[in-house]
Amino acid sequence: MRVAMAEDSVLLREGLARLLDDAGFEVVAQCEDADSLLRRVSAQHVDVAIVDIRLPPTHQDEGLRAAIELRERHPSIGVLVLSQYVEPGLAMRLLADSAEGAGYLLKDRISDVKEFVAAVRRVAEGGSAIDPVIVSTLLSRRRSDDPLETLTPREREVLELMATGSSNQGIADALVITLRAVEKYVSSIFGKLGLPSTGSESRRVLAVLMFLRS
Amino acid sequence: MTAGGATFALALNSEIVPEPAGLQAALLDWITVPYILGGLVAWRHRPDSRFGPLMVAAGFAMFISSFQWVEAALPYTIGLAFDLVPAVLVMHVFLAFPGGRLERQSEQVVVAAAYAAAIGLQLVKMLLGGVWGENLLAVVTEQAAANTVQDVQLITISALALTAVVLLVTRRRETGRPLRRSVALLVDSFALALVMIAALLLAGAFELPAFETIRRITFVTVGIAPVAFLIGLLDARLARSAVGDLVVELRADPGPAELRDALARALGDPSLTLLYWLPEFESWADLDGRDAALPLRGDDRATTLIDRDGVRLAALVHDRSLGDEPARLEAVSAAAGIALENGRLHVELRARLEELKGSRRRVLEASQFERQRLERNLHDGAQQRLIALSLELGRIEQRLEGHPEAVSRLEQARGEIALSLEELRDVARGIHPAVVSGHGLEVALESLAARATLPVRLAVDLDGRLQERIEVAAYYVVSESLANVGKHAKASSATVDVSRRNGALVVEVVDDGVGGADSERGTGLRGLADRVEALGGRLRVWTPRGGGTRVRAEIPCG
Repeated sequence: MRVAMAEDSVLLREGLARLLDDAGFEVVAQCEDADSLLRRVSAQHVDVAIVDIRLPPTHQDEGLRAAIELRERHPSIGVLVLSQYVEPGLAMRLLADSAEGAGYLLKDRISDVKEFVAAVRRVAEGGSAIDPVIVSTLLSRRRSDDPLETLTPREREVLELMATGSSNQGIADALVITLRAVEKYVSSIFGKLGLPSTGSESRRVLAVLMFLRS
Repeated sequence: MTAGGATFALALNSEIVPEPAGLQAALLDWITVPYILGGLVAWRHRPDSRFGPLMVAAGFAMFISSFQWVEAALPYTIGLAFDLVPAVLVMHVFLAFPGGRLERQSEQVVVAAAYAAAIGLQLVKMLLGGVWGENLLAVVTEQAAANTVQDVQLITISALALTAVVLLVTRRRETGRPLRRSVALLVDSFALALVMIAALLLAGAFELPAFETIRRITFVTVGIAPVAFLIGLLDARLARSAVGDLVVELRADPGPAELRDALARALGDPSLTLLYWLPEFESWADLDGRDAALPLRGDDRATTLIDRDGVRLAALVHDRSLGDEPARLEAVSAAAGIALENGRLHVELRARLEELKGSRRRVLEASQFERQRLERNLHDGAQQRLIALSLELGRIEQRLEGHPEAVSRLEQARGEIALSLEELRDVARGIHPAVVSGHGLEVALESLAARATLPVRLAVDLDGRLQERIEVAAYYVVSESLANVGKHAKASSATVDVSRRNGALVVEVVDDGVGGADSERGTGLRGLADRVEALGGRLRVWTPRGGGTRVRAEIPCG
C-alpha cells in the first residue's frame, strides 16, 4: 500500500514514516506542506494520504483545505487527517457528504501502532476512521427528548464503535461477541434512533454522526 | 464731499461734456463719491488694511480724470493723463478685496500690466499729440500712430480687465461661496463692473456707435461696487448683535458641541470648527478629543487663535471671508472665554479617554498576540515531542511482543503521556482557541455547543471570516457565557445567536435558567466586557431573578 504524508515536524514525519514502513506500507512521499503534497499525489499512484491539519505557511487551515481538495480531486485516495485538537465541526467539514475513505484522528493515536495501522488501512480501502473523542463529545451532548437514553449500555458501546468507523467484525472483536450479535445490536440501534439501516459501513458512520450532531 | 461737489460743478459747467450735462455730472459723482466715502469708512474700520486708502485713491483718481472736461490747458492735460487710471485702480481695488493686498502673483502681474498700459501708453499717445484739445505734452502730431497706440492700449486694458474677472471667478471657485450674502453680492458687482469696463474700452477702440450708452451703464455698475461694500459693512454691524445672543446662550453653560453651534451662529459661519489646545498633549484636539491640525497657510480656511491670560486656549477655524470682520471675531472670542475654558476641560477628558481606550486595545492585542505565541510554542514544542516520544514507545512495544511485562509497562508509560497530552491540550485551548484562528468562529462555536453541558441551539449567520481579534472575543463571550449557564443557571437549554447587523457582530447567549447572576458570575462577565469594550463594542447582561439570563455583545466589525 502506498502512502503519502504531509507533516511539518521532522521528528514526527520521520517517526511516522518508520512506523508505516515497519507495518509494510510503502511511503512514497514525505512532504512539509500542503502544496507539495498535492503535487506529489497528482504525480504518482497513492492509496492513502496522511495530512497534519496545521501546516505551513500560516499554520491555520492549510492542512484541512488540502485534505478536502484531495478528496474532491482524487476520490479513490483515502485521506486521513491528524490533529492535536479534534473538533466535531472540523470532522463534519472534512466528511461533507460522505465518510468514504476519510479519517480524522487525534495525533496521539499514532502511538497505538496496531490501532493506527488498522485505521490507515481502513481509510485506504475506502472505510472511515473517526476519533473516539469526537464520537464521545457528540454522544455526551445533551439533548431534550434524547432517544439515546433508550439505548442499553451494550447498544451504546456498539454505537460508539460504529461511529468511529469500525466494521461489524471489528466491533465483534473489540467487544468479544459474535458477528451475529453485533448485527442484532446494530439493527436495534437504528430502529431506536429512527435511522434507515443503510448498507455500507462508511454510510452508516455519516448517518450516525449526523444524528449525533443534530 | 468737496471733491464730489467740485466734480459735479465742473461737469455741469463744462462745454465739452456730452449732453445732457446734468446726467453726466450725476454719473461722475456716482463713481467718485461712494469710493471716497466707502474708502474712508473702511480706513476707519480697519486702519491697518490698505483696502480703505486704495478705495480713496480710486475715488480721487476719478476726480482727477474728470479734469479733462475743463478747457484750460493744464488741468485738461492732467485729466487726460489720468484718463484710464481710474479703470485700473478700480481693478486693483477689486482684486485686493478684502485684505487690501494683491496676494497672488497672477493678480500682481495683471494689475502691473494694466498700470503700465494705462499710464505708459497714455503718455506715448499724448507725446504723439493724438488727442483733441490743448495737450501740453504733445511734441509731434502723428495722429495715425497715436490712434494705433490708443487701440493697442484700450484692447490691452480691456483684455486685462477680463483676465481680472477670470481671476475673481477662480478665487471664488477655490474658496467657495462667501458666507454672507452681502459679500457674495459685492464680488458679483466687482465682476460685473470689470466686464463693463472691458466692454467700454473695446467700444472706444472700435468706435462703436453705442459708446455713450455703454459708458453710462459702465459708470452705473462701477459705482455699485462701493455701495455694495457699504451695505456689507452695515450688515456686519447688524451681525454684531449676534454676539449679544451668544452671551445669553453661554449662560446656559453649553456642552462642547452646543458651544460650537452657538459660536457658529454668532459668527454666521455654519462651517466653523472649534479646536482646543491641550498643553499636556502639546497638540490641538477636536471636540471628541482626537488629534487635529490647524489649516495651513494658503488653505481656504482661516484660523483665529483665542488666548486667555496669555495662554493659548482654542482656535476658531472659519471661512476666510470672516477675516474681513476682525471686530466680530474679537467680540465673539472675548464673550466665549470662560465657556471655552470649560469646553477645553471636557475635551481634555475626552482626549484622556481616547488615550485610555487606545492603550486598553493595545494591551488586549499584545496579550492576545502573546497567548497565540504561547499556544503555538506548546503545539510545536512540548506537544509534538510528547507525541513523537509516545510513537517511539509504541514502536518499541511492537518489537517486544514476546515480553508481556515490558509491553504492559510501556503501555502504562504511553497512557501517562496520553494524559499529559490531554492536560496540555486543555491548557493550550485555554491560552488561545487555535481553532478560531485556524478555522473560524462557526466551527469553533459548533465544538463549544457540542461540549456544552446542556442542549444548545446554535444559529450562526456569517458569510466569511472576520478579523481574528473580533472572532476570538466573540468566542470568549460564548464560551464564558455557556460555562456560566452550566455552573449557575440551572437551565434546561440555551440558545446562541451570532450574526452581522449594521456593521457589528452581534452575539447573544440566552438561557432559560434562574437568572439573577451573582457576583461570582459578575467577575467573568466583567472580563468579557473589558475584552468587548476594548474593541469598541459593548456587552450587556439581562438577568432578572427567575427569568433566565441574556448576554448580548455587539462588536463593531466594519
